[in-house]
Order: sequence, then structure tokens, then C-alpha cells
Amino acid sequence: MAAAGLLLDAGVVLAAVAVGGAIATRLDQSVIPAYIVGGVLLGPNGPVPSLRLVGSAEFIDLLQGLGVILLLFFIGLHFSPSTLVERREAVFRAGGLDLLNGLVGLAFGFLLGFTALESLLLAGVVYISSSAIITKSLIELGWIADPEAESILGLLVFEDIVIAVYLAIVAALALGGTGGVGGGGALTAVGVSLVVVALLALLAFRGTPVVERVLDTRSDEQFLVRILAVATLVGGGALYLGVSEAVAAFFLGAAVGGTTHADRVERVITSERDLYAAVFFFAIGLATDLSTLLPLLVPVLALAVVSGAGKLVTGYLGGRAYGLSERRSARVAVAMVARGEFSLVIAAIAVQANLDPRLSALAVGYVLVMSVAGTVLMSQSARVEDLAERFLAGRTLAEGPAGPETS
Amino acid sequence: MTVYETDVPGVGKKFELDVEDDARAVVLLHHDGRVEVFRRSNPDADSEKVFDLTRGEANRLGSILEGAYFEAVSTDELQVPLGDAFIEWVDIDEDSQVAGQTLVESDLRNVTGVSVIAVQRGEETIPNPDPEFQVEAGDILVTLGNREQQADFAARCR
Repeated sequence: MAAAGLLLDAGVVLAAVAVGGAIATRLDQSVIPAYIVGGVLLGPNGPVPSLRLVGSAEFIDLLQGLGVILLLFFIGLHFSPSTLVERREAVFRAGGLDLLNGLVGLAFGFLLGFTALESLLLAGVVYISSSAIITKSLIELGWIADPEAESILGLLVFEDIVIAVYLAIVAALALGGTGGVGGGGALTAVGVSLVVVALLALLAFRGTPVVERVLDTRSDEQFLVRILAVATLVGGGALYLGVSEAVAAFFLGAAVGGTTHADRVERVITSERDLYAAVFFFAIGLATDLSTLLPLLVPVLALAVVSGAGKLVTGYLGGRAYGLSERRSARVAVAMVARGEFSLVIAAIAVQANLDPRLSALAVGYVLVMSVAGTVLMSQSARVEDLAERFLAGRTLAEGPAGPETS
Repeated sequence: MTVYETDVPGVGKKFELDVEDDARAVVLLHHDGRVEVFRRSNPDADSEKVFDLTRGEANRLGSILEGAYFEAVSTDELQVPLGDAFIEWVDIDEDSQVAGQTLVESDLRNVTGVSVIAVQRGEETIPNPDPEFQVEAGDILVTLGNREQQADFAARCR
């Protein structure tokens, strides 16, 4: 492709992302589904042939990769072990319950005739809530100042660790060559992956002084370039070794988060991350073919209903584990519903590994439904809280005298 | 008095302070420097946002609350609650036209619009000098008027 064509492609992508973002903001929605829809519409499989403006260009692949690395880098940066340790009992009780949501995905995978690995990936898609959507909504709704925020963010941190370990394993299994559990190649891949992750974890928890020195510069420009260089090298290197670049970036983020530079990263690099992440979501849309997505409409909706209900139940019980009132627990439940970026990272792994194309289409459709459902539920939480209170009041009446349940 | 400090992953730091009755002030410092101030009227209530501040505004507000706020102001921009008027100190030296005259003789108030509100003579301060007060070399007149009037007055005292 000629350079002019590539530049024009980039222009079309950025314009589509800008328009999609503007519409989503106007509708009070998360921008994530808007970016994906933009990608679907303009992509090589778009429904309107004359709108198929963007081929899968190399620059999109590059920005998409950087998007994943920076997304996970920031999650690692905010990874706060103290949050887990402070209230470990509540975190582990709530987080353990939350883990059960993965079973819904696993069961659906087998129902749809997926392999064990594919079903395991679907379990991850269904399990992992969207830190990006949830944190943004918490701030916009002002819940961030209330007690439920602590349990919601605690749950998200718990999920982040689970997903880091999970990605390390499934990425190795999926990309390790054989594509099935039990093959020698896959086992070697998992082994390599775990060793690399262990080394990165060591860097995260012991290597702070080194990272501190590497990033020590007064110039914001130098700082930005160094972070991007290190993150890209580590992510790319990990991928070369067959380890998930996302996991590598997560631990690198944790290493930087322990230094005095953490706040500066926010200031200098957040806009970079947002740009690449937007392209990442757009690229997920590009890779999606509506003709594979439409036949999956019923499974997508069924999965959304069942797993949404699952998150509501485990979120509510998680809130109670934190000692929150019924109303605030209902908020935790509502907040945990949204799915987003991680589910798409998993979908991207499925594409890279040439697994059943239905899996990634299912994941994309699912994220579209759940990201919208999550934001709508949170903005309508007053109704949900009323419903929960009425429902629970009815239940306790039916069961006879209620225990000292109100806080 | 207890201040509760919490790390809010992905957002920043949260500080909480019990203020009155059951109410609690919640201050959220975002990583990007934005500061949100909330008030929760009782433990069951939802927090209501009071302020959304930039880093600079938050620092300013903080120093006011701390009692440490003051601002050095140059006299060119001095604003006192007198409208356009301000207070000036005018030295009367030996060859001044008004030295030896009473205030009513010099008629400066009618000509310039400036009032002499006090006179400093050595260690002594004479407040509200009456029209018969005689100005002498070495006096310092404390005068009230706007910028133009003050300039006119100072010129006529030379």
C-alpha cells in the first residue's frame, strides 16, 4: 500500500474514533462499544460495501498492540497490594464468589461445542469486569467517595491479579503451537511463560531502584519515550518468547507503580494510552464480521442474561462480605456487570491463535451488550436498589423473622 | 480528630474527616491533579459533591482554610473598600507652597477634591485636622482621594 493510502487510512480511523466517541458521550455511554461499532462499520467486512474504508493495515496492528500493552501497564501501575492486604478476608471472600462467574462461560463454551481451551477462554471473557468502564462510572456518579467504591475497586484488583495469571497460562496454551491442553509444546510454552512471569514479578517487587534510575529524567519528553520504549521492548520480547505481552506489561506497570514516578506516568502518558486503546477497540471491530456475529445473537443474549444475573448475585454477596448495607451491596452488584477491555484482549488471543472464529465474534457481541448494559444499570441503580430492597424484604417476610441483617 | 486515608486504585487518594454531627468530609485527590470535595451528611447517605477543583484552586482554598493565605499586592493595584479612592502620604518640605498655610487658606480640598484625614507631625498624629489647622514644613499629610486627585494634590504641595 502506498504511503498516502496508509496515512489516509489512519485519518479515517482517527475520525471514526472521534465521531464514535462524541456520539457515545452525548448518549452518556461508555466509548468502548462506539469504537467497536465504528470498526465493524468501516472494516473489510462492513455491512455497507462503500463504507469499507479501512483494510487491516499494519499501522492498526501496531497501535492495537501498543493499546493492549499500555492498558495493562496502567492496570499494573495501579495495582495496589495494600488494598488486598488491608481487608484480605473480605477481598478473598468477595473475589472467590466472583470467580464463580467464569463457570457460566465455561458451561456455555461446552454447550456451543467449543474445545476445552476455547471454553476456558470464554470463561475468562465472561468473568472479567471492565476496570475502565467501572472506574469511569464510579467517578462520574460520585460513588467514588462512598463506602461501596472500596469493595468494588477491591474486587477489580482481585480480578486483575487473577487475570494476569490466567492470561499467562491461556496465552501460552493458545499461542504455544498445539492449541490444546496436554501437548508437549503447550506444556513447554506454559513453563516458559511462568518463568518469564516470575522474572517480571521479581522485577516488580525487587527491582524498584533500577526502574527508578532508568526513568529518572527531568524532561517529560525523555520520560515518555523511555516508558514507551521499555514497555514496548518488554511486551514485544515477551510475545517473541510466546508469553502474553499483556501480562508482561502488567508486571512492568507494577514495577513502575512502586517508584516515585507513578503520578508522573499518569500525567505524561495517559493521553497516549487513551489513543492506542481507542485504536485497539476499533481494531477489534475491524476484525469482526457481522455475518458471523448475527447467527450468534441468541447465544450472546442468553450469555448476557445468565452471566449478568450471576454478576448481580456475586456482587451483592461480595458487598455483604464487606459489611455493606443492602442498598450499597446492590450498588456493588450493579457496578460489576460491565465487561470491556480484558474480554477483548482475550478475544484478540483467540484470533491470534486461529481458534473457532465464533469465539471472538461471541466475545465482541457480548462486550457490546454488557458494556452498554453495565453503564445503563449503573445510571439507573436507584431503581435496582429499590427492587433489591423490596425483593429482599419480601424474602425475609416469607422466611419468617429476619436475622439482624440490616447494618 | 482522625483523618482516614485510602488508596483508590486507578483513581488517586481519598481522605475522609468527620466534621459535624454524623457528617463526613471526603476529599478525593485524582492522579491527574483534579480534586473533588464531597460531603456525606450521615453514614447511610450518598456523598454529595461540593466542589470540583483544579490543583491550583485546591492549593489556594487549602491555604485559606489553614489561615496561611495572604497575597502581596503592589500599590498600583491597591484596592481598598473606598471605591476609587485610596490613602496617600504626602511629605511637606520646606519650600512647599502650602507650608505655613492653614488648610482653609490653601483651599486644596475645593481645588483637588482630596481630603486631609490626618497629619503626622513628628511623633504626633493629628486625626481629622480642622480647617484652621496650619500646615508646617516636615508634616506628613494623610490624604484620601482617587488617583487623579491625589496626583493633582501632590503637585500643588510641592
